[in-house]
Amino acid sequence: MAEVVLKDVMKNYGSLYAVNNVSFAVEHGEFVALVGPSGCGKTTTLNLIAGLIPMSGGDIVIGDRVVNDLDPKDRDIAMVFQNYALYPNKSVFKNLAFPLQMRKLPKAEIEAKVMAAAKVLDISHLLERRPRELSGGQQQRVALGRALVRDPAAFLMDEPLSNLDAKLRVAMRSELKRFHHNLNATVIYVTHDQLEAVTMADKMAVMHGGVLQQYDTPANVFGNPVNTFVASFVGSPAMSLIPLDVVSKGTEVALRSPEEGWELPLSPMNARKASASSNGKLVLGARHSTLKLHKSAAAGAAPGKVYTVEPTGDVTFAQIFVNGAVVNISLDPTVAIEPDEAVWIEFDQDRMHLFDGETTMALKAA
Amino acid sequence: MAAIETAQRPVVRKPIDWWRWAGRVFLTFLMLFTVLPMAWMILTSVKSQFAAMQYPPQWWPSEPTLNNYFKLLDPTNRIGREFLRYFWNSFYVSLLTTILGVVVAVPAAYAFSRFRFPGRTFLFFSVLVRNMFPAVVFLMPLFLLMRWMGLVNTHGSLILTYLTFGLPLSIWLLKGFYDNIPIQLEQAARIDGATRFQAFILIVMPLSSPGIIATSIFSFIGAWNEYVYAYTFLSRDDQMTLPVGIQRFFTEFATDWPGLMSATFLMSVPVVVLFLVLQKYFVRALTEGAVKH
Ligand SMILES: Nc1ncnc2c1ncn2[C@@H]1O[C@H](COP(=O)(O)OP(=O)(O)O)[C@@H](O)[C@H]1O
Ligand SMILES: [Mg+2]
Repeated sequence: MAEVVLKDVMKNYGSLYAVNNVSFAVEHGEFVALVGPSGCGKTTTLNLIAGLIPMSGGDIVIGDRVVNDLDPKDRDIAMVFQNYALYPNKSVFKNLAFPLQMRKLPKAEIEAKVMAAAKVLDISHLLERRPRELSGGQQQRVALGRALVRDPAAFLMDEPLSNLDAKLRVAMRSELKRFHHNLNATVIYVTHDQLEAVTMADKMAVMHGGVLQQYDTPANVFGNPVNTFVASFVGSPAMSLIPLDVVSKGTEVALRSPEEGWELPLSPMNARKASASSNGKLVLGARHSTLKLHKSAAAGAAPGKVYTVEPTGDVTFAQIFVNGAVVNISLDPTVAIEPDEAVWIEFDQDRMHLFDGETTMALKAA
Repeated sequence: MAAIETAQRPVVRKPIDWWRWAGRVFLTFLMLFTVLPMAWMILTSVKSQFAAMQYPPQWWPSEPTLNNYFKLLDPTNRIGREFLRYFWNSFYVSLLTTILGVVVAVPAAYAFSRFRFPGRTFLFFSVLVRNMFPAVVFLMPLFLLMRWMGLVNTHGSLILTYLTFGLPLSIWLLKGFYDNIPIQLEQAARIDGATRFQAFILIVMPLSSPGIIATSIFSFIGAWNEYVYAYTFLSRDDQMTLPVGIQRFFTEFATDWPGLMSATFLMSVPVVVLFLVLQKYFVRALTEGAVKH
């Protein structure tokens, strides 16, 4: 049984569609990351699920109820906000107790639950303090605690880690993952950081311009991005995208650089995909680890020019101009190349991605 | 071997901060300017009528007496009865003005801060238009309006007038407060189980209490001290508020200076007490609410 279902959910502010026809289903106990660049409608989507803003259209189901017209308090959800939204005039204890008080639980039970949550989060010694007397990391824990004291149908989190420093963020990331595992809770987690999404989520929903681009497991999103946006958004360094022309010579199909004239013959499988291109143009996508660097011309390799070389220790990243596009490649640190050096890049036919030149969608073999 | 340096440390003269000194001198004068009349008022209030009229003046009363105060606070004689009646009238009008002002200003400011509705900007600035004119400009129009509504010679006319004068500032000040309270706090409360109204009462109101207290002080003092409108709208003796009442009362035949001064002093007591008790909030309101964090 799916715990949270969005169906054709819309939200517009005048002519701006902040959330445009978004549909996806979150299973019970699943950790779903809602990810996309800033302003793509993640917070708006989360607020719609929470019922904090009215929908312009569509349906939202939580548990077994359609909650379209329910108040946030009746939706059985808990939320962690980016700025934590701790009640500044209440002590930590009262912050944690507030959701229980509003549900009119007996005093003894409230106290027991608050203590239990505080213990799990290791904030028992902070209960008498005010939020402003806490560090950022402690505030974050209190915000999490306020969600944990209840047993909601789903947890909604809006960039809960983005205000922490890098080290703490990584530590809290594993801790959050552990919580999810222990509680078997349904979590919808908003982040602009694709790495957070890939590392934490069971499934990720990639959004762009209010539109849901792809909803799948991180492995599938990484391995089979549906379009150039998802391809370049997920993964670091980003997937390289090179716009090329499709040329057919009898049964052979090749890609040709419109500017430099070189050609790249395609494998039969890729040839069938390339033939499906709607306008004879496509975008070749390749991840840095699938590329091979040659110092001299080689079969199936495209000529390029080194732009920058960035050694990081165990691996060296290089940026190379190929047909006017920047190609990221990872190299063994022993490979010596210089900026402006002429090099040849060999593509792995089995692991390359082909996208339609016009629609930017991934091409499928006809 | 390195020579031991016996370099003389240059005598560092702290430069005189002229601005600071100018400020002190200015503040001293300002204080004399405000405190001296007050002191003279209190000194005169404990003199006898005879001592108050002496020339050259008695700087320090030779036979200080609290008789004037006893007379004013004693409801068994005519003077005391009337004074206490005026005091009550003033208190009643000011308190109602304050309470009604808060009741109107809080939701209005909240709406201006949180909701986008057609005509919002226009309304917000039209609220301030009243403050662009001196109060007396509205004396005749308001008098005619009150007469048309049949409110002349009632305290209602004063309360309505004071409200219209006090509200713009209250709304403006409170809106600044609500603007600074993150909307996520209310959202969190609503998710935690509060209705919209509960979120406002339980979370937002306590956070804006310094602003509410400050605006309350403003409207109370404004109403308490107001003279011209009370003088114009009221004619019955038993309705008079303190500023008008005192003035009429003690100048009926010959001016009873000590009586007038002790009445004036008693009149200033509530305002001073209010300020002393609540000044902490007042300062916070004017500094916190105004500045965006
Ligand atoms: N109350 C609002 N009025 C008008 N536009 C809004 C409002 N809230 C959000 N938007 C717009 O909707 C889009 C999505 O916003 P948001 O969901 O906050 O993005 P994200 O959380 O992904 O960064 C943005 O373009 C934003 O400017
Ligand atoms: Mg956001």
